Amino acid sequence: MKNVLAMILAGGRGERLYPLTRDRAKPAVCFGAIYRIIDFTLSNCLNSDIRRIYLLTQYKSTSLHRHIQLGWNILSAPLGELIGVIPAQQRIDEHWYQGTADAIFQNIYTLQQEMPDLVLILSGDHIYKMDYRKMIAFHLEKGANLTIAAIRMDRTLSREFGVIEVDRDWQIGGFQEKPEEPKTIPGDPEGILASMGIYVFNTEILVRRLIEDARSDSTHDFGKDIIPMMIGMDRVFALDFRQADREGVEYWRDVGTIDAYFEANMDLVSVTPQLNLYDPQWPILTYQSPNPPAKTVWAEEGRMGTALNSIISNGCIISGGSVMRSILSPRVMVHSYAEIEDSILFEGVDVGRHAKIRRTIIDKGVKIPEGMEIGYDLEEDAKRFTVTPSGIVVVPRWIRL
Amino acid sequence: MKKKILVVEDEEGLRLLYEEELESEGYEVLTARNGKEAIQQLEQGRPDLIILDIVMPVMDGMETLGRIVGKDRKIPIILNSSYPGYRQDFMSWAADAYVTKSTDLGELKDKIRKLLEKGKAQ
Repeated sequence: MKNVLAMILAGGRGERLYPLTRDRAKPAVCFGAIYRIIDFTLSNCLNSDIRRIYLLTQYKSTSLHRHIQLGWNILSAPLGELIGVIPAQQRIDEHWYQGTADAIFQNIYTLQQEMPDLVLILSGDHIYKMDYRKMIAFHLEKGANLTIAAIRMDRTLSREFGVIEVDRDWQIGGFQEKPEEPKTIPGDPEGILASMGIYVFNTEILVRRLIEDARSDSTHDFGKDIIPMMIGMDRVFALDFRQADREGVEYWRDVGTIDAYFEANMDLVSVTPQLNLYDPQWPILTYQSPNPPAKTVWAEEGRMGTALNSIISNGCIISGGSVMRSILSPRVMVHSYAEIEDSILFEGVDVGRHAKIRRTIIDKGVKIPEGMEIGYDLEEDAKRFTVTPSGIVVVPRWIRL
Repeated sequence: MKKKILVVEDEEGLRLLYEEELESEGYEVLTARNGKEAIQQLEQGRPDLIILDIVMPVMDGMETLGRIVGKDRKIPIILNSSYPGYRQDFMSWAADAYVTKSTDLGELKDKIRKLLEKGKAQ
């Protein structure tokens, strides 16, 4: 895998995750109590033995940079390994990245310097476990110029994805970006093959196509411009995600909206989550500050410190309050008689006595005053907080209550 | 209308040579001594083609190429260098042609003609 360079697009604004993305790029949003979304893609790289990685950042990147610096400074430079963070630096021209293809084109000097045989282009926005080695083996075996990872999705979702058409050999013959009327999978009229935004390119072909795209009127996007241009001109193949899926359940989430984000987190507190975080052969790495172990205190009638069906991180103290089906990031404090249900509490949240929280995401460091109720009267909540269509309340960072 | 060619070249002797030779071919010739001057020239008006030396002081041709493409994607550019080795640079692939400098300007004139014709066809 030494001849492979991974470039992770980590500049997404994640507007539909607002206000969680008010202060951070989407890849830096917390997931599963102790992780950031980017940790899944980076862990996939390391678990696939890919150890030359660049992250391309753009908007609101401070939080992401800090996380990478603290948690991912683990590779060995003398062995030729690195995780480099490249902010948008206007190296070639004076714009911010105009599209996914432009983001790579603007970093053509990095490709020149690294001279890999293959470039693996990834998104820092997705949660999944995938063995990229299998994708690369497929790419080489097919003699492909470009291989795109594809997952089966319900056809009703076609407007959210690039839809791929393949022949029997999985060579791509057509690609439609977010079509209304998608081409379905032969023999599966309800299914489409969706692009996962994961690409393996031969370096020279990538550079040539990026340059052609850069010199034409284009939106400079892989899905809209580069892939359609390459089909019919180059050898473009699709890899069936099932061939490289570590979980074997085709788990791949975009968590593009607050509702999707909430559901994906809540999956983790079920008895057997779809996403297994406990696989010792496929560790998900992250940064964790040194905190004491989680603790519950008080066990008297009416004042029981309890947590059931929940994820409780280090540094949490559940002091005479109750936590049910919830996810607590490090250093969350739950005071006596407080009740928390079906909620996600980010790092350092403090819930005062007698407060009641239900179906709510509370961002980092927010202090909930004594007796406050959130998630019980959505009309009232909507006056201060974001309330999603399915009734999830989001309490933003920095708010003073 | 005469076609306008911008020659970006730091060596004065060569600049004069190109100016003379290309004017006698019927082109209008503008000149710049380095990439920075070339970009300033582009702000004044759009030439039909650019001939770009690579090794120049102030701003070299490879960097200039990126800047020009960022401003105007379609303008034809010929990289013109004494060093064929720059063909290995990915950025050089963004030029429409690469000509190794020679005392015979035949190849350069030929490339200019072809690129200008291609531009007309579009």
